[in-house]
Amino acid sequence: MAGIPVPGRAADGTGAAPGRTVGGDSPLRVSQNEAVPFLLLIEDDDAIRTGLELALTRQGHRVATAASGEDGLRLFKEQRPDLIVLDVMLPGIDGFEVCRRIRRTDQLPIVLLTARSDDIDVVVGLESGADDYVVKPVQPRVLDARIRAVLRRGERESSDSSVYGTVVIDRAAMTVTKDGADLQLTPTELRLLLELSRRPGQALSRQQLLRLVWEHDYLGDSRLVDACVQRLRAKVEDVPSAPTLIRTVRGVGYRLDPPA
Amino acid sequence: MTDQQTTARFSSGPWRRLRSLRVRLIAVFAAVALTTAVSASGIAYWLNRDAVLKRAQDTALNDFRVSLSRNVSNLPLNATCEDLNALASTVASSGLSYDVVVSDPALPNCVASSNSAQYTIASVPAALRTAVGKPRELTESNPYTYHLYWQRQNLDGRPFVIGGTKVVTTGPTAYMFKSLENERADLNTLGWSLAIATLLALIGSALLAQAASATVLRPVKRLGDAARRLGEGHLDTRLEVEGSDELADLARTFNRTAESLHGQVEELSAREAQSRRFVADMSHELRTPLTAMTAVTDILEDEAESLDPMIEPAVRLVVSETRRLSDLVENLMEVTRFDAGTAKLVADEVDIADLIMSCIDGRAWYDAVELDAPRGILAVVDPRRLDVVFANLIGNALKHGGSPVRVRVREEGDTVVVAVSDSGPGIPEDVLPHVFDRFYKADKGRARSEGSGLGLSIAMANAQIHGGSITAANGEVGAVFTLTLPLTPPPPADDTAEESAR
Repeated sequence: MAGIPVPGRAADGTGAAPGRTVGGDSPLRVSQNEAVPFLLLIEDDDAIRTGLELALTRQGHRVATAASGEDGLRLFKEQRPDLIVLDVMLPGIDGFEVCRRIRRTDQLPIVLLTARSDDIDVVVGLESGADDYVVKPVQPRVLDARIRAVLRRGERESSDSSVYGTVVIDRAAMTVTKDGADLQLTPTELRLLLELSRRPGQALSRQQLLRLVWEHDYLGDSRLVDACVQRLRAKVEDVPSAPTLIRTVRGVGYRLDPPA
Repeated sequence: MTDQQTTARFSSGPWRRLRSLRVRLIAVFAAVALTTAVSASGIAYWLNRDAVLKRAQDTALNDFRVSLSRNVSNLPLNATCEDLNALASTVASSGLSYDVVVSDPALPNCVASSNSAQYTIASVPAALRTAVGKPRELTESNPYTYHLYWQRQNLDGRPFVIGGTKVVTTGPTAYMFKSLENERADLNTLGWSLAIATLLALIGSALLAQAASATVLRPVKRLGDAARRLGEGHLDTRLEVEGSDELADLARTFNRTAESLHGQVEELSAREAQSRRFVADMSHELRTPLTAMTAVTDILEDEAESLDPMIEPAVRLVVSETRRLSDLVENLMEVTRFDAGTAKLVADEVDIADLIMSCIDGRAWYDAVELDAPRGILAVVDPRRLDVVFANLIGNALKHGGSPVRVRVREEGDTVVVAVSDSGPGIPEDVLPHVFDRFYKADKGRARSEGSGLGLSIAMANAQIHGGSITAANGEVGAVFTLTLPLTPPPPADDTAEESAR
């Protein structure tokens, strides 16, 4: 009888990030510190590629496109985009593999464009290092909101630093070191760590973290948080399977333990 | 007996057991054995009894007669009481242990007996005395006036044969008392033996019936077990066929039936899987062009105002229908996921009131909905799926029932109950059972409404994956949809959340 609004693409307005007016009033508005965000769109279907390129350009992004994973990786190395919008189902090497290869060297934000919201796909995508995902068919303004939210995560904030055992978080430089060595964190991982370290010893629910880090509305996918925490643990913990820094609080969420 | 009674009888436990084949078989065997044994023993007993008694009394009576006729001639005329006593003793002393009583009408006060302490003339039954004293007419076939009569009689609880005769018309009458105690003891022993034999036959027949029923019932039980397993969905159940009797035939028929059922079910489920896959594939295929179209709808919408007034409505139509189509495809995908069982919970502990508030806020329904939801009811749910449920129930109420729509949330035990009621005309009774059916539209006149026709069925599936359910009913005013959810979903759904949390 009733049509259901599809999550992540919910009725107008709900999918938008807070702090940003939605609509066509200022389509060319850009983030504060960059001139125009430069996106790489990797999508094999011509119609979708063209459509999204049109829409994203109109939302104020500079867009480069590639029709296959191989082309995308080459273009990525040549042009160094700010963010990658990556289709999962690609001929040749698929989106997950592209994601993994990029993550080996670079920590730029990656938004997955998945044709299936089947649970296993999303989980694999998040484990391969993606920062966020949208499900096709996606409304351009939702995709734009997600892109801008991801880009905001890399922005600098207050200047102080905190020490958690061997891990040093430098907010001014937006760097994290462990045993003196720089840790390569994606903007999302960094933002997650910053949000947790802002409230040391206090448990944050997955929904809270979704709002703080991903700027999702109330209905965000908590698996984003879980996958990101796992990746973060792999980088900052001595033994990722027995975390001492980022602790799971059963039934609630996660907590960053203050330095002992 | 009516059908209802039959059903009741068969369904109740004790009756079933009493009417079971085993019990009936044992009962029949026992009845047959009992009848046979009792009639055989009875006949044997009566024949024996007759023969034993006849021989004993014939011997005694013959001896009595011979002894009497030999001794009565020695009796003097006008015999005294002593003479009669002597006669009784003499006759009784012939060797066979019986006692004799002699009476003479001439000496009415004389008690002449070989054992006067026990036997007197008073011990003789009156009928016998009459018969003995009655003279018979002499004919060709009857040369004697007086006959020897006898009668069996219990004296003081002991069996006796009493015989009596008159030898001469004017002479005394003599009676003989012969105890049948020994014979009775013999017959009693015989009776006991026969009763024990009957009992043994009865027990034997019961054991035999048990054995016979076991040989019949074991295959029947196997058949019953197999039929039950078949009913439970184990379509590969087959029976081992032994021998060539009727039960083996039955087993063969069962196997053939199971075989054909198995085949048919397999074919059906293959066909169903095929059609499901088709819907799933079709939705996937539709999604690609839809994604491209959706990507440019915003551009078209933004530019619509600046277009030719002739073209603008066309553009707006394309935009709105593209969105409708993508909603429909999305719903179809969701349905295929539920059908294929791949839908999973991504559970998180949330405040139900917050969730409903965000659902209402997000869709700008705030003015039309009266929310009665205490904060602090926390439930482990998939917020995305539950939002779909709320959006459906509230959206549906607004569309078909009209505002104000009331949403009431209560915690009841370990469940949370959300009732969504509207102020509309309610749902017709004949539609009520179908509201959760796919593509079922209450208003047939309106073939095409804004809804996809899948909303409530998806809402129901989403509630069920949480271990809850939705019911539809008519309240005092309008329709009431009630969602009942456990505060914690069933374990398997919880596992995934915990695992991904690690």
